[in-house]
Amino acid sequence: MKKFNITVNGNSYEVEVEEIGGVPSAPVAPRAAAPKAAPAPQAAPKAAPKAAPKAAVAGGSQITAPMPGTIFDIKVKEGDTVSHGDVVLVLEAMKMENEIAAPVDGTVAQILVKTGESVNGGDVMIVIE
Amino acid sequence: MAMNKLEDLRQRKQKIALGGGVERIEKQHASGKLTARERINLLFDEGTFVELDAFVKHRCTNFGMEKVDAPAEGVVTGYGQVNGRVVYAFSQDFTVVGGSLGEMHAAKICKVLDYAVKVGAPVVGLNDSGGARIQEAVDALSGYGNIFFRNTIASGVIPQITAIMGPCAGGAVYSPALNDFIFMVDKTSQMFITGPQVIKTVTGEEVSAEALGGAMTHNSVSGVAQFFEQTDEACIEEIRRLLAFLPSNNTEPAPIFETEDDINRLIPEFDSIIPDNPNKPYDVKDIIHALADGGDFMEYQEHFAKNIVTGFIRINGQSVGVVANQPKVLAGCLDINASDKAARFVRTCDCYNIPLLNLVDVPGFLPGTAQEYGGIIRHGAKMLYAYSEATVPKVTLILRKAYGGSYLAMCCKELGADIVLAWPTAQIAVMGASGAAEIIFRKEIKSADDPVAERQRIIDNYEAEFSTPYKAAERGFVDDVIEPSSSRARLVDAFNMLASKRENRPGKKHGNIPL
Repeated sequence: MKKFNITVNGNSYEVEVEEIGGVPSAPVAPRAAAPKAAPAPQAAPKAAPKAAPKAAVAGGSQITAPMPGTIFDIKVKEGDTVSHGDVVLVLEAMKMENEIAAPVDGTVAQILVKTGESVNGGDVMIVIE
Repeated sequence: MAMNKLEDLRQRKQKIALGGGVERIEKQHASGKLTARERINLLFDEGTFVELDAFVKHRCTNFGMEKVDAPAEGVVTGYGQVNGRVVYAFSQDFTVVGGSLGEMHAAKICKVLDYAVKVGAPVVGLNDSGGARIQEAVDALSGYGNIFFRNTIASGVIPQITAIMGPCAGGAVYSPALNDFIFMVDKTSQMFITGPQVIKTVTGEEVSAEALGGAMTHNSVSGVAQFFEQTDEACIEEIRRLLAFLPSNNTEPAPIFETEDDINRLIPEFDSIIPDNPNKPYDVKDIIHALADGGDFMEYQEHFAKNIVTGFIRINGQSVGVVANQPKVLAGCLDINASDKAARFVRTCDCYNIPLLNLVDVPGFLPGTAQEYGGIIRHGAKMLYAYSEATVPKVTLILRKAYGGSYLAMCCKELGADIVLAWPTAQIAVMGASGAAEIIFRKEIKSADDPVAERQRIIDNYEAEFSTPYKAAERGFVDDVIEPSSSRARLVDAFNMLASKRENRPGKKHGNIPL
């Protein structure tokens, strides 16, 4: 069992990582083990701050909030087809109605926020597949 | 003179001009790249390039290197004219020992840098090199060190422009990094300190060379490069365009290009470009294009920190560096990357006597732990420092929001703006109306019979009185409130009036900008 302090988005988490694979494969230098283990605990704090009713589906292109703010308007619904550059959502933040555009062509697979809801920077708002 | 001597000279030159030979040249073309000499020919006005040191040879005898012939030592160097002005250049030849850098290759580059400083002419470096020539061991390292030192000494004296047009890895990246401008070509150029192989061995991360250090990565993610180009040809054309915005050295003004664009041209659309709702975004680039002579705007770091827009325009023929908040992206707020980008650009303009135009619509600094932990205090300070330090003419035009510390950071009067103009839509205040009302009138709102209505009444009052340019104009922090449609004419006049500006600073070794 190894203990790590991991900082995600500025929050510190103390995590314990147990190695269950027996002897590490030979060519990997010992100090390489630490960064390798890191990605696993990262998932935990993401879910923690908000008991999100929906978890973002894996895959697809996730549209995350560029900064903390309030959802002002959602321009699409699940199943809609969108093109790169289409405005899908308006995020009110820094005294501005910020238009958030689709980063890719695709279909709106999931909408994880509601109008009026507050989001933090980095929160997934919409998934496009 | 015996004809055979002339013939001998011609043959020698011909052989050198062929670099690594026909086969390698074809391979270079097949990978979508031009050769070192083709690039040089595109860069300079036709027939003006004069080559130096074509006959230089390496002195390495390690690992059988004495048998290796490296025409022109893998780098074409010399000088010529770009739009009729002298420019020095070196162009690494990937067909010759992979463009690798050894002692004499480096010495050729150093000579060019030394000459350029001596005559006060810009240097363009076209990079396409596998890196240090390992066989030359510490001599190769010494070569890099000599280049870094000269780049630093030349910094702020002559414009130094780099294009990455192939691999550029390890120590090789730091000469470009010490330059004023970096261009990168899509798909064919990469820069990194440690490549994908090393990263995989050490940390286990798998990443492609393109994702790690490709042109878009460095133009959009790391902010290492300033210009993203599709092809070698486009890249060199843009270098020529950039040179036309710059003076030859720090003692000269940038060249003046006479314009047919009316200096008194009214821009009626400016009177309605700002949305009535102050929370609605618009594209500040529309304003920049409309102000510029002929709409010509060369954007600097177009893909990085898009919440601030920087670049070169001409006003009445004169180069002007523009720094503008972009309400369309991140509400136009200042964050770490935007501060770094703007501060660097301001200092670049100040080095080379290019006046500054600041277009202000800024709601504040981006809040959040990521920003605070990332050091927004020291990064934001760079903007204050860069503007205060700059002695070129500085004109600030406030379009809309100018709140709190971010208003100061966008070159207010106190940081040395020579002229501050404001549109009637400007809101120069310590903060937004709702926030301010709640702090100042918290008690009144709480004790009112109808707190919601009282709050709104107070906000409306505050907006009418304080969210305007007139409080600042009463104090003289704003020189004039102008009709937006007259902006171009007013800016032409301001820069014209400031052309003879002289401002001195106390003598010092150098300042200590927060880094």
